[in-house]
Amino acid sequence: MTKNTERVRFEGLNGRLSWINGGFVLVVAVLVVRLAYLQIAMGEMYADQATGNRIRTYAVKSQRGIVYGRDRSVVLVSNRAAADLCLVPKECEGFEEEVCAHLENLIGVDAARLRAEIEENRAKPYSQIIVRKDITKTELTRVGEMSFALPGVFTIVRPQREYLHGSTGGQLMGWLNEIGREELDRMPGYRRGDVIGRAGIERSYESRLKGKDGRMMVSLHNMGIPQVRTDAFGNPTMALDHRGRAVIEEYREDPRAGSSMFLTLDMDLQAKAEELLEKAENPGTSEPGRGAIVVLNAETGEILTMASVPGYDPNVFVDGEKWRQRGSLLTNEDRRKRMRHRAYQEQFPPGSVFKVMMAVAGLEEGSVREHNTYYCPGHFNIGSARWACWRKQGHGSISVVDALAFSCDVYFYNLGLELGVDRIKKWGGLMGMGELTGVDLPEEITGIVPDPEWKERTHPELDAGSRRWQRGETVNLSIGQGGCSVTPLQTSVMMACVINGGRRVRPYINRDLGPEVSEPFISENTLALVQAGMRKCVEKHDFPSGTGRNAYIEGMHILGKTGTAQVVSRQVYEGMKDEEIPYVLRDHAWFVAGVVDQDPPIALTVFFEHGLHGSSGAAPLAREIIDYFYTECAPRHVQVARAEELP
Amino acid sequence: MPPARDRSARNLHIGILDFRNLLHMDWILAALTAMLIVVGLVNLYSATFGSASGLPRFDGNQDWLESMSTFLNSWVGRQALHFLGGVLLALLVVSIDYKFLVSLGPFFYILVMGLLALVLAWGRIAGGGQRWLAVGFVNLQPSEFMKPALVYMLAWYLSRLGPRIRKLRWFVLAFVMTLVPMVLVAVQPSLSAALALFPIVCVMLFVAGARWWHFGVMGLAGLLPVALVAMQVISYQQYLGELDAYEEAVQASEAYPGPEPTPFDDRSFPLGVKLKSYQLERVLTFLDPERDPADKGYQAIQMRITVGSGQLGGKGFAQGTQTHLSFLPEYHTDLIFALLAEEWGFTGAVTVLALLLAFLLRGTAVAGMCAEPSGTLVAAGCVAVLAFHALVNIAITVGLLPITGMPLPFLSYGGSFCITTLLCVGSIMGVYVRRRQFV
Repeated sequence: MTKNTERVRFEGLNGRLSWINGGFVLVVAVLVVRLAYLQIAMGEMYADQATGNRIRTYAVKSQRGIVYGRDRSVVLVSNRAAADLCLVPKECEGFEEEVCAHLENLIGVDAARLRAEIEENRAKPYSQIIVRKDITKTELTRVGEMSFALPGVFTIVRPQREYLHGSTGGQLMGWLNEIGREELDRMPGYRRGDVIGRAGIERSYESRLKGKDGRMMVSLHNMGIPQVRTDAFGNPTMALDHRGRAVIEEYREDPRAGSSMFLTLDMDLQAKAEELLEKAENPGTSEPGRGAIVVLNAETGEILTMASVPGYDPNVFVDGEKWRQRGSLLTNEDRRKRMRHRAYQEQFPPGSVFKVMMAVAGLEEGSVREHNTYYCPGHFNIGSARWACWRKQGHGSISVVDALAFSCDVYFYNLGLELGVDRIKKWGGLMGMGELTGVDLPEEITGIVPDPEWKERTHPELDAGSRRWQRGETVNLSIGQGGCSVTPLQTSVMMACVINGGRRVRPYINRDLGPEVSEPFISENTLALVQAGMRKCVEKHDFPSGTGRNAYIEGMHILGKTGTAQVVSRQVYEGMKDEEIPYVLRDHAWFVAGVVDQDPPIALTVFFEHGLHGSSGAAPLAREIIDYFYTECAPRHVQVARAEELP
Repeated sequence: MPPARDRSARNLHIGILDFRNLLHMDWILAALTAMLIVVGLVNLYSATFGSASGLPRFDGNQDWLESMSTFLNSWVGRQALHFLGGVLLALLVVSIDYKFLVSLGPFFYILVMGLLALVLAWGRIAGGGQRWLAVGFVNLQPSEFMKPALVYMLAWYLSRLGPRIRKLRWFVLAFVMTLVPMVLVAVQPSLSAALALFPIVCVMLFVAGARWWHFGVMGLAGLLPVALVAMQVISYQQYLGELDAYEEAVQASEAYPGPEPTPFDDRSFPLGVKLKSYQLERVLTFLDPERDPADKGYQAIQMRITVGSGQLGGKGFAQGTQTHLSFLPEYHTDLIFALLAEEWGFTGAVTVLALLLAFLLRGTAVAGMCAEPSGTLVAAGCVAVLAFHALVNIAITVGLLPITGMPLPFLSYGGSFCITTLLCVGSIMGVYVRRRQFV
């Protein structure tokens, strides 16, 4: 073998083959080392990356909390199951024509457009085409009955916020929309597409109502877009992606629904108040009524009613069908300011309503006493400047009780000068004007009780001399004019002080928040005098009767004070009849009132924007509210309270 | 010394075609081949089940005929047919006297060259290159058949040449014989298939006893293309910079930003040698996979994750997440080793590597056993073909080489390459059964 073969074999063949073998072994060794590095040394890291590659987390949206009225029988805000009708082209393959035709017959969708949409989605046959969003119950039933002829057609259920009372209390409920991109950076716990409360309790109790989203982790194919389906309760499941590849659910964490909450609002009274304002008569104009009515429980500060007209229906912000109505609401040009709640987000000059606080301040500071009188000749002079009393013939000599009852301006001009602007400011603050009431609603406005510092700040254009506070301005302030502006909620808080024994309440709308009431800070003597004046203002048996006589109800101890706040100087419309005055120049009509001897005692404010006169414009509304509350609402509150005490 | 002393010598069957030779084939090599084919089919099943024209999971109550046709239409079924055809062809090659085949070497060589020319003229265009020739219902890839054809051609040439190989000019002539088909394949363009011809000539010349320093000269000559490529990579990077600057200028100013840079593929380079921009992209991506992770580097990164996440024991048969959730493309063809590494882990990958190494070592052993030069050359050339594909493919998969289309023998799906692989196996075995024959 050896001799013969060597003759023809290549020289040194075995050596060369060994070299080749060595090369093979060397390369394989390098590959093994590399494999060991990747799979053993770095294996764990790459395994993590592989997991990260395929696992995607999706949120399972939580249900937003339900908002009740004073008890569970009144649902204000809840979630309804909105059903979107969808179609998966792959699942109706071969029947597209029939399915589209059926859908056109059943719910009137455009079959041709649907066909075109199916064509567009050829490349991703498992993607869902939304046939119609939020179909009605009737449509759902029709589709359900024909489901045997509609392969690939199904519904996706999603919770849709629903405001059951529509525009009644709409501004208090607030509205929702999708969270903005820059907000996402600031707010942890939100994802794109989440909704967030923008106004009212939806906003102030956002964190409580929102709940906690659950999560769903699924294993996906590369670039797969999972197609979500839902069961009847809106719980999402994913089984296929847009190309029909399997999606495997690896882990699921259920969402926690938002907490429900109870409000202090009495919705019947709220509806009544809004209706009264809308229908309030305003002679000589076709403008629908504007204004606000606040009713507080004077002991606790519960907001029983806080009406603002005109308002809006929050459903337009969540309901896809009503989106067209959003635009006009959200523009600043909305002349009627429907988005602003007039009871706490808008401020107005209080006029004579301010005198209630002035009387309390004067008596408490000792500037006037019960029997101190000022003479009212119908006007008041400082130097050459003259201020008129609303009653040109004057009130004669008048003390604090009558000054309140007949709303004598001259009495309060004198009182104001006696008190001085600083003490007016101080007492305004104590009784809730010119500062936040602390109500648990967003974007409350502070109101303004002017003082020298405020004047300096707001009139930078004037020279130093003109910027100084003038005595005449104190005179103006004494009757709630001259830059003074407050909210109806603030005057309600002021009234609550007068009724509940001189304590400041913090108004609240969330029943669970509970009352927050200060110690009494007004003496009983002062309160007795002020209450006497305000009672005289309403009661009819004295002659002449007070300015608030239109609010009188037989057998009830009602306190009241009218207010007629000028929007422009009186000279502008001097001599005109009421119905001739242009709408926007008309005085605001105010009426603050309280009921002392009933349970619960209430403090209320009626603010009738451009309502001309407190006595004729606002006081009758107050009477209706008080009457309605004690005959219809209060007995029911007692029942509800008793029912809740039962074991 | 009479050959009768060797018991096996009685079994020699010397005719040009004699099927009795099958009884004496190399059972070690046959066993390794069978194991690799089984591994390949099992792995391919895992790579393709559930996908379009993949096999469904077996559920026991499918109609026999229907499931048979499903099987034959599936990736695994077609690959099994490829293997069947390849094995039959290999058995034929074993039965034929390899010296007869070597004498036909020039004929094969010219025939396949003609096919390559046909491809360039009428070939089917797919996957960015003109590589396929449609013959009836079969798509052939002549560049694959160039590999065994070149082996037989060089075996014919070098066995005729004998010791004259030590002269430089005959050495260079062998290279020229290789370069001509290389160029034909490279202009398809199929750079990887062209490169696969190069190790054949190197190994065969080495075995034939060429001088070391001749290789040195060739190496230096080989540096020239490397230098050219490097030059082009640099100028391509410059071009990309120019392009960025130009686009920035267009965005920044309203004024005319000057002429657009000449597209890279339209520029000329010294010696007319030029790579396409997509090839240069691949080189750049290999040098820095993070360069553009969304696009070109994506595959490289995902491949590392795929291989690495297999860890020691693997994710289990048909459990690979990277491959089955299609994060890694082409896992049933060129990158199938990644699937193996993912599902069977380090253990499985090393086992297959060991099988392949055993196969290669047995192949060189056969080359060494042969009593006659042309047989040695045929065996060595075939081993070179398989070794180059196997080792380079795995080196690509583990991220040691840039991604090019290089199939893995026995494991990657592909008809022409399957047949090439088994032709090589058959050639080595044919040499084995006639290893004691002299001229």
